Amino acid sequence: MIRIITFLALYSYLTPEPVYALQSHGEPEGLFAHQIAHILFSVSMIFLAYWLKSNNFTRERGWRLIQISCILFFIWNLVAFCGHYVEVKLPSKLIEGTGSGWDQALLLSGSPYSLYYYFLKMDHLICVPALACLFLGLRNLYKKTLMKVAADK
Amino acid sequence: MTGYYSLAPVWISDVVGSALMLIISFGAIYYAHRLRNAEPSSIIWMYLLVLSAALAGFSISRAVAHLAKHAMLMAGYPHMWEFFRPYTGAFNSIAFIVVASVTFFFPKVQKINSEILNDKRALEQATRDIKALNRDLEALVERRTRQLSVSERKYRGIFEGSMDTIFVLNQKFIFEDINPTGLSLLGYDSLEDFIGKISLADIFVSNSDHTQFLEDISRSGAIKDMECRIRNSSGAELVVLLSVTVTTKDLSRRTNYVGIAKDITVRRRMEKQLHQADRLASLGQTAAGVAHELNTPLGIILGYTQLLLRNCQESDALHSDLKIIEKQTNNCKRIVQDLLKFARNSETKKSDVDLIECFKEAISLFGHQFEKEGVIVETRFENNLPKVFADGEKLKQVLVNLLVNAKQAISGNGLIIVTMKLNPDRRAVIVSISDNGCGMSTDTVEKIFDPFFTTKPVGVGTGLGLSVSYGIIQAHGGALEVESEEGVGSTFHITLPLTDQNHQNIYPDNPQ
Repeated sequence: MIRIITFLALYSYLTPEPVYALQSHGEPEGLFAHQIAHILFSVSMIFLAYWLKSNNFTRERGWRLIQISCILFFIWNLVAFCGHYVEVKLPSKLIEGTGSGWDQALLLSGSPYSLYYYFLKMDHLICVPALACLFLGLRNLYKKTLMKVAADK
Repeated sequence: MTGYYSLAPVWISDVVGSALMLIISFGAIYYAHRLRNAEPSSIIWMYLLVLSAALAGFSISRAVAHLAKHAMLMAGYPHMWEFFRPYTGAFNSIAFIVVASVTFFFPKVQKINSEILNDKRALEQATRDIKALNRDLEALVERRTRQLSVSERKYRGIFEGSMDTIFVLNQKFIFEDINPTGLSLLGYDSLEDFIGKISLADIFVSNSDHTQFLEDISRSGAIKDMECRIRNSSGAELVVLLSVTVTTKDLSRRTNYVGIAKDITVRRRMEKQLHQADRLASLGQTAAGVAHELNTPLGIILGYTQLLLRNCQESDALHSDLKIIEKQTNNCKRIVQDLLKFARNSETKKSDVDLIECFKEAISLFGHQFEKEGVIVETRFENNLPKVFADGEKLKQVLVNLLVNAKQAISGNGLIIVTMKLNPDRRAVIVSISDNGCGMSTDTVEKIFDPFFTTKPVGVGTGLGLSVSYGIIQAHGGALEVESEEGVGSTFHITLPLTDQNHQNIYPDNPQ
């Protein structure tokens, strides 16, 4: 074994070739990383929802609300994932006007993705309820915990 | 749907949604933080705080970025948004990864934390249990100690208060412990003089008892009610019933012996006296019968002898023969009278008798003879001795008999001590006559009151003196007892009961 390693080391040293230590990262990598993060986020939320259910946490209202929040975040992640995908696919010329969107318009007939893009861009309609459910769930748990702590005292 | 559609709804949802996310995410952080503070040890609240913080970070990044984007675009600085956009996107990605990582790891951490908490609770419970057990143990030990103390006091009380002797012997039969009754019985003042110094062999009178004891204890491991004679420190013999048991610490080693000795000396003496009294009563009845039967023919013989003597001259040869017949007949009659006295069938003339005067009259008969032969008579009379209701002459006869016997027991110089004292408990006067003569053996003492029993040479005595004395004292409701030790001397005790009147003369305030 030592002989083989020694041989390979000598061979590598005596026959040098160009190496590429640093890999270049093009523009799509950022989007891919973000999309993968969305996938991880969504999976983790489904996992949490399942874990809460399987460990009987959802008997309490607070945890039930958090479970709903998980499901909504899961859906939001799917929406965001699709939104990002559609945004890439949608030609920019289909959006008329400049600015932040208030005075912009979308040509729906310009691409099969136009309609999806229109609705998927309104992901806050899912994201905000998800966060609200988390908030309500935490508030409920806090109140119950306060009562429990008071009862223990 | 072929024309342009305004993106204003998208814009509105983006702006309003971003603002709401900012507000709600901070609300979530607030409650997660409060939850964490309420139960700092809870890993779940910690997780929710981290989750809320990551989501809040994402919300800030996203909401601020979106709001800034709209502001920058509306203000005509799209290049600024292009500058910030990668940062917000990257931060959002990181926030997602953080949320996902924390969520994936949380169940495992929660499980470990739960196990730790369970172990902690179990440890706390065990600590509480141990404390409770310790507390209970202390109480248990205290209770057991109290019970032991009560038990010890109880058994110590039995040991100390027992009227029988209780003792413990070691393997070599040396006394290890003895109760006060036993110590007193054996005549020792303190345990120090006794414990570890005296063995059972030291107190046995006879070797046969000792041998029998050792044989029985080695054979059966216990002895029950073995009657044996022991000797106390002053040399007095005692009769005891001995029960001994072997006590063992383990199955094989004998360590010591526990025993009880019941003193039956008095009982045995009483039984002996009762037996003797019965025997003497039986003898008395026989003697009385014989005496009555002999008295009449003796009277006739004496009568006819005296009639013949009246018609016979002194010079006549027959006269001296008749005189011999008369003398011997009179001797026979005296013996018959003595037998009747022994059998308590003779007449008594009772009156209040001063025993001291009675004694003086008795001693006056041969006091000078005693002095001449070197026998000193010492008197120890209690003051104010009451008179007794008795036949003075017969009491004098008893005293003379006992004094003569005492004198005869002393060969050469000697001492006779006459004691008279009142025994208030028995309501009697005790007269004791002691001598330092040759004493008597046990066998002799048992027969001393039998009629015609004598240790004197033939012709010196008839053997009726003590029998007559015994009969006289019995006839007065009293008792005549003897203590004797061979080579040491003898003591005769006369107990004469007091009448109520005599007793009242002494104790006028307390006649009973």
